[in-house]
Amino acid sequence: MSAGARYRHLFTPLRLGPVVVQNRIVFSAHLTNFAADGMPTEQHAAYYAARAAGGAGLIITEEHSTHRTDWPYEKLIHGFDPAVVGGYRRITDAVHAHDVPIFAQINHNGGQASSMYSRLPVWAPSPVPDPLFREVPKAVEPHEIREIVDGYALVADHCAAGGFDGIELQCSHSSIVRGFLSPATNKRDDRYGGSLPNRARLLLEIVAAVRDAIGADRALGVRICGDELIEGGTGIEDAVDVARLVDATGQVDYINTSIGVATATLYMIEASMQVPPGYAMFIPSAIREVVRVPVVGVGRFKDPLQADRALSEGLCDLVGVVRGQIADPDFAIKARSGHATDIRTCLSCNQECVGRMGLNRWLGCIENPRTGRESTIVAFPERRRKVVVVGGGPGGLQAAVTAAERGHRVVLFERQDRLGGQALVAATVPSRAEFFDIARNLIVAARREGVDLRTATEATVEAVRAERPDAVIVATGARPARPWWAGDHPRVVDVRDVLEGRVHPEGRVVIVDELGFHQATSTAELLADRGCQVEIVTNGMVVAQDLGITLDMETWNVKAHAKGITQSVDLVPMGIGDGDGEGGNGTAVLTLQHHPTGTEQARTCDWVVCAVHQQPEDGLWRALRGGPCPVYRIGDCVAPRRAHAAIIEGHRAAVAL
Amino acid sequence: MALLVDPVVVAGRTAPSRVLFGPHETNLGDGRAIGDRHVAYYEPRAAGGAGIVITETASVHPSDWPYERAPLAESCGPGWAAVAEACHPHGTLVLAGLGHCGGQGSSAYSQSVMWAPSRVADVVSRELPMEMEQAEIDAVVEGFAESARSAVASGLDGVEIDAGYSSLLRQFHSGLTNQRDDAYGSDRLRLTREVLAAVRSVVGSAHIVCLRLCCDELAPWAGVTPEHAAEQVALLADRVDLAVVVRGGPFSTSAYRPDGHTSSTFNLELCRRMRDAAAGKVPVTLQGSVVDPDAAQSALDEGVCDLVEMTRALIAEPRLVGLVRQGDSSRARPCILCNQACHVRDNRNPVVSCVGEPRSGHETVEPSTDGRDDLPGDVLVVGAGVAGLECARVLSGRGHRVRIAERADRAGGILRAAAVGPGRERLARLAEWLIAECRIQGVSIETGTEVTAAGLDVARADEFDVVVATGSRPAPLPFPVDGSCVVVDAPTLLATGTAGLPTGAVVVHDPVGGPIGVGVAEWLAGAGLEVSLVTQDQIAGTQLTLTGDLADANTRLQRAGVRRELRAQVRGVEGGRAVLDDVWTGERRQIGCAVLVDCGHRLPEEDLWRQRPDTLRAGDCIAPRSVLEAVLEGRRRAMDIASGAAAGRAPAAAGVAS
Repeated sequence: MSAGARYRHLFTPLRLGPVVVQNRIVFSAHLTNFAADGMPTEQHAAYYAARAAGGAGLIITEEHSTHRTDWPYEKLIHGFDPAVVGGYRRITDAVHAHDVPIFAQINHNGGQASSMYSRLPVWAPSPVPDPLFREVPKAVEPHEIREIVDGYALVADHCAAGGFDGIELQCSHSSIVRGFLSPATNKRDDRYGGSLPNRARLLLEIVAAVRDAIGADRALGVRICGDELIEGGTGIEDAVDVARLVDATGQVDYINTSIGVATATLYMIEASMQVPPGYAMFIPSAIREVVRVPVVGVGRFKDPLQADRALSEGLCDLVGVVRGQIADPDFAIKARSGHATDIRTCLSCNQECVGRMGLNRWLGCIENPRTGRESTIVAFPERRRKVVVVGGGPGGLQAAVTAAERGHRVVLFERQDRLGGQALVAATVPSRAEFFDIARNLIVAARREGVDLRTATEATVEAVRAERPDAVIVATGARPARPWWAGDHPRVVDVRDVLEGRVHPEGRVVIVDELGFHQATSTAELLADRGCQVEIVTNGMVVAQDLGITLDMETWNVKAHAKGITQSVDLVPMGIGDGDGEGGNGTAVLTLQHHPTGTEQARTCDWVVCAVHQQPEDGLWRALRGGPCPVYRIGDCVAPRRAHAAIIEGHRAAVAL
Repeated sequence: MALLVDPVVVAGRTAPSRVLFGPHETNLGDGRAIGDRHVAYYEPRAAGGAGIVITETASVHPSDWPYERAPLAESCGPGWAAVAEACHPHGTLVLAGLGHCGGQGSSAYSQSVMWAPSRVADVVSRELPMEMEQAEIDAVVEGFAESARSAVASGLDGVEIDAGYSSLLRQFHSGLTNQRDDAYGSDRLRLTREVLAAVRSVVGSAHIVCLRLCCDELAPWAGVTPEHAAEQVALLADRVDLAVVVRGGPFSTSAYRPDGHTSSTFNLELCRRMRDAAAGKVPVTLQGSVVDPDAAQSALDEGVCDLVEMTRALIAEPRLVGLVRQGDSSRARPCILCNQACHVRDNRNPVVSCVGEPRSGHETVEPSTDGRDDLPGDVLVVGAGVAGLECARVLSGRGHRVRIAERADRAGGILRAAAVGPGRERLARLAEWLIAECRIQGVSIETGTEVTAAGLDVARADEFDVVVATGSRPAPLPFPVDGSCVVVDAPTLLATGTAGLPTGAVVVHDPVGGPIGVGVAEWLAGAGLEVSLVTQDQIAGTQLTLTGDLADANTRLQRAGVRRELRAQVRGVEGGRAVLDDVWTGERRQIGCAVLVDCGHRLPEEDLWRQRPDTLRAGDCIAPRSVLEAVLEGRRRAMDIASGAAAGRAPAAAGVAS
């Protein structure tokens, strides 16, 4: 069966009003933080162009602000400033070069903002503060509502002048339009509040004004929130009614969907691997039943088969694949050409895409070191070199793949009999299984690129030198380090000892979290599932603080509660002793200091599992450096950190060859 | 006896006063360069009499990129030159702040590993740095030298080397972070000495080399203690021309420039001790929370220091030194040590500013309020809160005849209530200063005076311009409360005191997470009441990250015996019990509740405005927010009226430019 036949639905063209898309894969709108001083940049153009080159059916840019009262985050594109048009033109030209249509999303975030940047009151239907920004907004006056509508029309004008093929109105997860639609935030008693037709009045006025601005030969879409997932908010019934109203205007060419509110329930908008794929498809499928125009479905589409199935089942007409194409710009072209297994599948780890967005940093990807850096040209190497990479974890594999892609001959040594390094270990916990893809994708790529993969092979200095390499990249990783307070107590072990199966704790387990990420929580889940009574203690103010960044905090806490895992904060381990349990390996007593008050506490338990920093395996690097060829050191053997650091450094070292 | 406003000679260069405007994050940079907004920010402080301006600390090597807009020395040459050119005409000396944050930086922007003496993860970021090899150490020394070369080539008077609370050099000084077994471990000052020697060899003796030195990491088990620091000062004194004594380290970043919960004189003893250790070999600068000129003068008089760093005071009042010199120090806008707008080491890159002087940091975009209007008129301001007072202050300063009508029997508005409680008292000084300035400029403040719509009409008929600044009122609680408990909103309680409260448990309902909820809970616990603070968040006072008070606030709550009910949504109060649901699991619990204090968001007090919606308004009656917005909008309305007066016509009615 040909690839086209395999993904028959995905690769069937579709008309969206005046625009025809060649396939159903949409690179839907998402923030990038690529803007500078309110203007789009070359990086925007390169970023979207890469996905167009990779075969996306339709690209929808990140939002452009329609009014100067709307500035919730620093790097928002000021669509209301006429100076944007030049930047728009560079984006649309770059994308059109690949014969892919591109729409602009335009928006006013309304009350989901603060005045930090604008120094103007935040505008909203009613003085209901947003749960994230917590600033009381100004209830807009009638003349200000007219100004909002005019702002949309003005920006639509700019977009048309800048060469966009269509406009999408963001009325979904962070928008003044959603604010008006939602009974939770619209408390008005005028003709814009109360009944649904009243609450939808602003939306319909904007639709009319924007259609008027762009004319008939550009597409207009509306993105609707299908369920705000907040008390008293918009649910699916209201959302379906809104879609019906929008469709009835006859001015709109497609409807896009989303779930959640960006500032209250973001963890469901950009769900991590903790949430099952397809979780939001009840929205497009319900809307599709009542409207004539095509409907876009979104929510953790990771592979083309899953997307094709959603189409074939009639859940939606187009599929938003955002993170999937952040990770692999060639998602569509690989699916179409029969190379779906080569797709660098998204992990839904949220570490460098969503995670960096929330911190006001440019968008990246844990797996794709080029994401966010598309506009930086990487020159091809002048000479083909022989490269030895030592270590088959994510960093070493990335170094090997990048080097091989650049034409170098690469030998990779891995001491273990399996490639993947600590990624394999991290993925052994059931709810983290998708993290395994980081290794799988790299192994597939390394094989494809012809890397000489030598597993179960210890890379001694002699073995490395025997290859007569032009350069060596050392990626030998890290090993657990014993904390100072643990002494040689046999019941104090590392999370890796547990996950790699060297020990099997039972009974009461205290997990010490000094890393603030998945290590402690994953292990806690695993042990609780095995029947242990688990407590996590941390010196921080919150256990696993960085799960907030990846939007795993809510799901983790729900699971922890269900599994009876307790969490204690502000505690520093001070020592470990034997309890009065039976035998030499009996009960342990962990002494903890509560650092804000200086008081001591004790925990009687059977095991203490440490999620603490590791130490680098840098012996080989020390032995090789100063030798006959350049030696690069990357990833955990420099300083044990998270996977993205290893990937970036592996890529960088290979580019530097 | 040396006066604060007297000149002082450092390395042969004369600073016009003994006041330092110290290095601090501003987010004013043009990328990583010192930009035009920096120049516009530093120049008024120089014009106002600052003796020495030290520019925002620049990274001496690309391995250091601690925050997005952190200056990078190799990009700063033209910016430094522009700052020097702007400040030198006022006689002010300008030094380039030079530093490297080491393991306290960030890998997010460089996407490279952080450098540090040893592999010790920073307490805040929890990220492990790499242990520097000799090559990296050499690169840092070279980076300091090259940066200093560039600074003096740009016309600066010298450099300041950062060995303060967030610096690589301090990490080498400290047993917390330096666990090396080489010569840089056995001799922890070695790197600093190498840096100072390299810098001196580049800048010579005619330029100033200043050292910002952490003298107490507040972690005596392994950190730098005052005892160590005194030895370090003695060893380094003859290698530098100026020293700035600071405190703080990995466990105490907020101790460097704390808010009003810490006594403004916290650093005096440490500084005195270091000055003794310096034994007259080098002038010593007091850093910390000294923001009052009298306190600064006392520190000089008492031999605590030779100069005083008054950074926050000069953010609030650029003209401070000049006013002191004229004997008008009471006219200086006070710094209230709130840290709300000037403490900008935050991922969002807020631009430095001041709640009382919002033009600070925004000199190129916010207009100056100076000047007098050709056609001054009569103005009625309704409400003597911060917005109304600022509006009246600006208009009266421009020659207008202003009357403020205030319903309450006292001017100052909600800021008076916000200033109740431990560590909060200083906030009232801004209100007092605004009132005093208004009075000096002839504003008539009429308390106990209610203005009706008819009153507005009369004023208008008499050709008054009118501004409504009527503040806020409590919002209805979003949950049912039966008659079993007393409900009071925070400003009312703070204004009236605890005397009338029934006995029993107090629940502080704080959906905001700002300074008010935490402050109320502390204050009530201090009065001996049983207090629970209820928040939907995982941590109490989450919004205090911006002021640096988050961890300290939680410790204070704990020590005061306040129970923190976290992740909790109040569902209602029934039979003297508050019903709380866990925000994620829905698990229900109940706590005693004889009194419920509402610290929630408020609603605009807009009844008057609604009756005359074409009236100008400012501050909380548009939307209840913080002091900064009230000041900013009071000022903007004043300037709206002023520009109308300048043009000889009535100002536009409430427009979009709120």
